[in-house]
Amino acid sequence: MPLAALVCLLCALPLLSPLVRGDGWWSPAVVLMVTATVVSVLYRMWSGRVGLLVPVLQTAVVGLLIVPLFAGHLAPMGLLPSGAAVEHVFEVFSRGLEVINVNQPPVTATSGVVLIIAVSFAVFLITADFLAATARCPGMVGGLLLALAVVPLVVDGDGIGAWPLAVCAFGFLQLLAVDTWVRGREWGVVVPVPAGGALQHALVATLAGVAAIVLASALPAAVPGLRTDAFHSMAEGTYIGRQNDVITTTHPLVSLRRELLAESDRTVLTYRTEAEEPGYLRRYVLDEFDGVNWTMSPVDASGDTRVEDDLPLPTGWPSAAEEETVLTRVSLDSDIAGMDFLPLPYWARSVDVSGEWYVHPDSLMVFTTEQPSTGLNFTVETSERPVDARELAGAGAPRSLPGDFRSLPRNLDPGVGELTRSLTGHTDSPYLKAVALQEFFTSGDFTYSLRPPEVPGGSDPLVHFLTVDRTGYCQQFAGAMTVMARQAGIPARVAVGYTAGERLGDGRWTVTTGDAHAWPELYFEGAGWVRFEPTPAGATGQGSATEPEYSTGGGLDPETPEPEPTPTIGPDDEPSASEEEPAPSPGASPSAEAEETEGAAAPPVGPDGTGPDLSWVPAAAAVVGVLLVPLLPAAVRALVRRSRSGRPGAAWRELRDTCVDLGLGWDLAESPRATAARLSALRDRNRVPLPEGVRAALHRLALAEERDRYAPASVWDESVGTDLRTIVAGLPGVVTRGVRLRATLLPRSLWDRPRAVTPDPEPQGA
Amino acid sequence: MSLGTHHGGRGGGVQADVEEIVAVADRVRGAIETVIEGKPEVLRVALTVLLAEGHLLIEDVPGVGKTMLAKALGRAVDCSVQRVQFTPDLLPSDITGVSVYHQERREFEFDPGPIFANIVLGDEINRASPKTQAALLECMEERQVSVDGRTRPLERPFMVVATQNPADMEGTYALPEAQRDRFMARVSVGYPSPQAELDMIDSHGTHSPLEGLTPVTDALTVRRLADLVRQVHVAPGMRRYIVDLVNSTRTSPELDLGASPRATLHLVRAARAHAALEGRHYIVPDDVQSLAVPVLAHRLLPGPQAQMERMTAERIVADLVARLPVPAPR
Repeated sequence: MPLAALVCLLCALPLLSPLVRGDGWWSPAVVLMVTATVVSVLYRMWSGRVGLLVPVLQTAVVGLLIVPLFAGHLAPMGLLPSGAAVEHVFEVFSRGLEVINVNQPPVTATSGVVLIIAVSFAVFLITADFLAATARCPGMVGGLLLALAVVPLVVDGDGIGAWPLAVCAFGFLQLLAVDTWVRGREWGVVVPVPAGGALQHALVATLAGVAAIVLASALPAAVPGLRTDAFHSMAEGTYIGRQNDVITTTHPLVSLRRELLAESDRTVLTYRTEAEEPGYLRRYVLDEFDGVNWTMSPVDASGDTRVEDDLPLPTGWPSAAEEETVLTRVSLDSDIAGMDFLPLPYWARSVDVSGEWYVHPDSLMVFTTEQPSTGLNFTVETSERPVDARELAGAGAPRSLPGDFRSLPRNLDPGVGELTRSLTGHTDSPYLKAVALQEFFTSGDFTYSLRPPEVPGGSDPLVHFLTVDRTGYCQQFAGAMTVMARQAGIPARVAVGYTAGERLGDGRWTVTTGDAHAWPELYFEGAGWVRFEPTPAGATGQGSATEPEYSTGGGLDPETPEPEPTPTIGPDDEPSASEEEPAPSPGASPSAEAEETEGAAAPPVGPDGTGPDLSWVPAAAAVVGVLLVPLLPAAVRALVRRSRSGRPGAAWRELRDTCVDLGLGWDLAESPRATAARLSALRDRNRVPLPEGVRAALHRLALAEERDRYAPASVWDESVGTDLRTIVAGLPGVVTRGVRLRATLLPRSLWDRPRAVTPDPEPQGA
Repeated sequence: MSLGTHHGGRGGGVQADVEEIVAVADRVRGAIETVIEGKPEVLRVALTVLLAEGHLLIEDVPGVGKTMLAKALGRAVDCSVQRVQFTPDLLPSDITGVSVYHQERREFEFDPGPIFANIVLGDEINRASPKTQAALLECMEERQVSVDGRTRPLERPFMVVATQNPADMEGTYALPEAQRDRFMARVSVGYPSPQAELDMIDSHGTHSPLEGLTPVTDALTVRRLADLVRQVHVAPGMRRYIVDLVNSTRTSPELDLGASPRATLHLVRAARAHAALEGRHYIVPDDVQSLAVPVLAHRLLPGPQAQMERMTAERIVADLVARLPVPAPR
């Protein structure tokens, strides 16, 4: 059994292959698992006792092995766990955690990642060995494998390939087979297989398998489940912040990809503005590039940055600019997991939102350290200032920027730099360089695809995207343009959030998961951070993305002001504290308020949402229906019982079903009077026999049934109906209350009637 | 036990007759119980076989009252009773009778053997040679005796009550399967309970209780009742049930030899008699179930596997009965 458990877990290793880049990441895990198995086998062979000690021994041996494997150069003689070596192991472990948390899969197989994988698998093997060999319930190992399988499912949107899954399933099945075989050997008796037994077994197995698959596919659709987003954000997180103010959030690019790949396009939020062309809604700003991924520099959640009055002025804000202040009211959909980073139009001047929120002054990200609530409503005030292409063209070198947004990792592929130079070498103007870069991406050479082909192992994903397949989605476009802009000397960063979404009319817009987006923001002295759009838009690209007019270069003409977000305040009949609005209540909401919240559950009733909102009626009916479903078997059973009042044979069938319901058993080989005798002898928990009346009724019913079945001719006695009622009322007295309840709610007789093996000469119920 | 008065059409007369059967059987049972106490099961089978006009095989160790049971049965019914002690040197003619030369009339005259009786008690039947056993068994099946080319019918009722010691006792010849098959039922008397044994000391100490046993019915009545028993109703489902039960002994992997078609007939007849004794004019599964072991077990030959597992034929039959579904409602 230990060997079978080992094989089973070895077969589960490929499950992680899509998550780790590089070779040899599996070998330490294999070494640890084989060692632990050897410990188990030796102990079991030599001691011959139940292996309760095995997990302890295995843990000790695995712990000793980790040092030479991962800190051999620090350990005395390469083996002994000295303090420095142990410390090194812990350091490697925490580095691995960081790599996994910060990067998006597949992660590079650093020693830390390999250590984590090896330790996890060692723990899994020790558990599996205990379950399979000591506790002798190898089926439970399936739970471990499921946990392993869930990892790639949760972390990576692509799911598990057929090949690793098949290997894993093979491992599990061989574990079960070995267990059966071992049990058979221990039992020592060959179970005879009847003729045609193999076929029958195959049939039964096939039926069971098909039923399991059908149920597994059908049931989750029928029952209300966990919200997947909530599950995801529990499953992983990115640590942002310092020391005590740690903020955990899903990696922005991972959640972006997940939203874009979601099967159904769900509403994320609705907002109301009067602008003709509202701008994008930003959530995150990623400003650090490690050569593969863009990540967020730590944000600070201290009292200084608490959102109270106005937000700090964004960097590069032209102080003398004429300001037009507008309000935008945003309602997050209550079906979407709460957002810890608010989607805000740029540039937000103040945010009115309940709860404790902080702002990152440089990027104007607004975030919370608390568990964000779902269905949040908030009002954001933005300053509207058109971006003028001429102003951008005249911008000089960035001077007022606090951080350096031009840094790039040293090991960046030189090909990227060459490409950037070839594209931007013709001009010194940062603006024209930026236009040239965007033109490079949108000229038609690039293909938009949410499922870009896999990057071959070993090659740089950025170079691969730019020069080889030129296929990707907003993440690649935005990331690549930001890198190239930095190479061209323009401060740049990646913003992640949503496009403006789809217009509903009447100044209202709706944003769905399909509108999730990432785009580069470039800094120009005097204009501040300006959005560019390298991702193809329209039907073959990111559907709702828009190219700002200033970014195409045509904006050097005198006009064409960029319509930045111009959200407006609605008619002044709405209180600003909209987050305190209750959930839609039937018929009570005035039109404007109903609009704010109804995106939560149902599509809008009409453009204005006028008239009483009756959308709750079917929902309520469905709820009542769902509540009534558990009572359905009891109702059917009661109908069946009524239909069998006093007809010959039917009374006996009713007695049979009552016995089956109560778990009293029903033996087809038992004659009526034997059955009556058996039931009459029943006693309840306190050894109190059935009432005399019930016993007499049982006897009379049995004799009547006997006459009906076997006598040449008989007259059905009308008193049988009375007897039956007496029995049905009295018989449940011998079972416990729990059994009675189950018999009422889930009467077994509805699906589990005793049936004769040999065909009856006269079928039942004739 | 009376089943009340719910019966239709032609059942009326039958029901009255059945009640007479119950009354007579109760009298006979009461009489025999003055001799043998605490054996209602054995008595029930014995009476059933008497009314079904079959033959009874009583098998048990010596001294438990086999012969006493047979004698009491014979005395309780006022009819001719003959007793044959089977020994190894017993000849067929000792049973059937011989023709002897009559000096005065100068012709051979048939001197009937002990077989010419209503109840024949064959004591320790398995001590006789197979040849003699065969002679007796032929009479049992044919209910007639052929001697010197003349066939003489035996008078009804004709019942052979044979006792035998278990086959492994000294000086016994095992009864062949074909001959065991002719007995309708086999019962074991078994040791009495301690209380019954105490009572026995008292009653047997003063006088032989057999002496005080007076007949409670006569051969004519028994013959009439046996005719009535043949009218007991067997529902189609019950026929099928009996056939299925007998058939299951043939297909059971634990048995080398299943029950014969004659066993089916015996089982039906015995079930009818049993139903009548219970006061019914129709048979129910309980009749068959309670008779299956006595009627079927002695005809079966457990296979080597069953013998190895110490499975007796009785247990195999009981298992088969417990598995066979009773006839479903019509």
